[in-house]
Amino acid sequence: MKRSRASRTWLWPAGALVTVMLLGPAPAAKAQFRDLLKRGMEKAEKVQKALQPMTVEEEREVGREVSAKLIAFFHLYQDEALTRYVNLVGATVAAPSERQDIQYHFAVLDSDDINAFSAPGGYIFITRGALGLCEDEAELAGVLAHEVGHVAGKHVLKIVERDKALRAGMDETRAHMPGSAYLHKMSRGVLIKLIDQGLAPADEYDADQRGIKYARAAGYPADGLARFLTKLDQATEQGGKSFWTRTHPPVKERNARIAQTITAEQWEDADRPKLADRFAAETQVLKPKPEA
Amino acid sequence: MNRQVKLHAFFIILLLALAVGVPRAISQEQASEDQQKSEKEQKQKKKKGGFFSGLKAIRGESSEQQEVTATAGSKTVGEGEQIGDAQPTASDRQAVTTMENYAVPEKDLKKFQDDGKLKAKQ
Repeated sequence: MKRSRASRTWLWPAGALVTVMLLGPAPAAKAQFRDLLKRGMEKAEKVQKALQPMTVEEEREVGREVSAKLIAFFHLYQDEALTRYVNLVGATVAAPSERQDIQYHFAVLDSDDINAFSAPGGYIFITRGALGLCEDEAELAGVLAHEVGHVAGKHVLKIVERDKALRAGMDETRAHMPGSAYLHKMSRGVLIKLIDQGLAPADEYDADQRGIKYARAAGYPADGLARFLTKLDQATEQGGKSFWTRTHPPVKERNARIAQTITAEQWEDADRPKLADRFAAETQVLKPKPEA
Repeated sequence: MNRQVKLHAFFIILLLALAVGVPRAISQEQASEDQQKSEKEQKQKKKKGGFFSGLKAIRGESSEQQEVTATAGSKTVGEGEQIGDAQPTASDRQAVTTMENYAVPEKDLKKFQDDGKLKAKQ
């Protein structure tokens, strides 16, 4: 009986403890806990958003900014007939591409360098120097199809999507306005990757494989790209400027893989048109005019 | 009884100490966590270069190779970096819009493919 009374007396401090815990420190701790929870949820939401695939419109925004910077640096080669021709060849090789949720746009950059670029969203550029190196339409088709292959394979897009640091700020006000800090950072990163560092060799081989398939499905012989690459290798050895040979896998290896596919697929392309005459006529404007 | 009063007094003091001490401990812990986090973030910023950090895993480059690239990059600005820093004018942006709006008429494309004896798969 005594013991029972003694144990009841312990109820007072226990009750007081619960009361103090509930009324005393609880409101402050609760507020801190709520704040922590809120911050955690906000962070989780941002991470989740940054890891989601980009929409086609977001991809186009980045492509537009990359294109604007390329044009600002190199300037467009202003010739309506030549631009039309490049777009005709480009549209022909882009037609069999797996990616038809975007439109492909082609333009010529006013540069002697032998380069071709593709930006996310289907913006494809070839330089005057690269056009000058091509000997026929099949080679031009091969180069443009390789670039279409990069867009269709989402090679640049996947890198951008994976980089949380680059995508940070995408929710900021005016982030999607042309020239915004976010789009500048994004497009600058893409250009450094494309031109200074190069894509992964696997992505280049993939673009080659896609490219030869598109060119062939369009009716051109499959070896146009390989013939262009061989000349590019020689041209850069003789001092020609191109980031393709600097950042891309060795031409020998690329051409070996292209040849392997042609053999494996048993493609007989001898009767397919290379269209050298049409190419010469359409690119006449690029040929140096004889001095009078 | 006297002993019980002493015990009660002890527990009341203990509870008061807890009431004052717990929130302080929580806020101190929070401040320490925030400080640790900010130090960690600063270290990561120094180590990683945003866009470049993802590339290392993709290309399978060693950290040594990355450092060499970074050093080379700091001495000479790459062309990609120069182009990336270009500030497009309104006319450059207009050129992009013109590029987007340019579409070869379907009829012309068909004629182009027919003339070249190409059989494009649509």
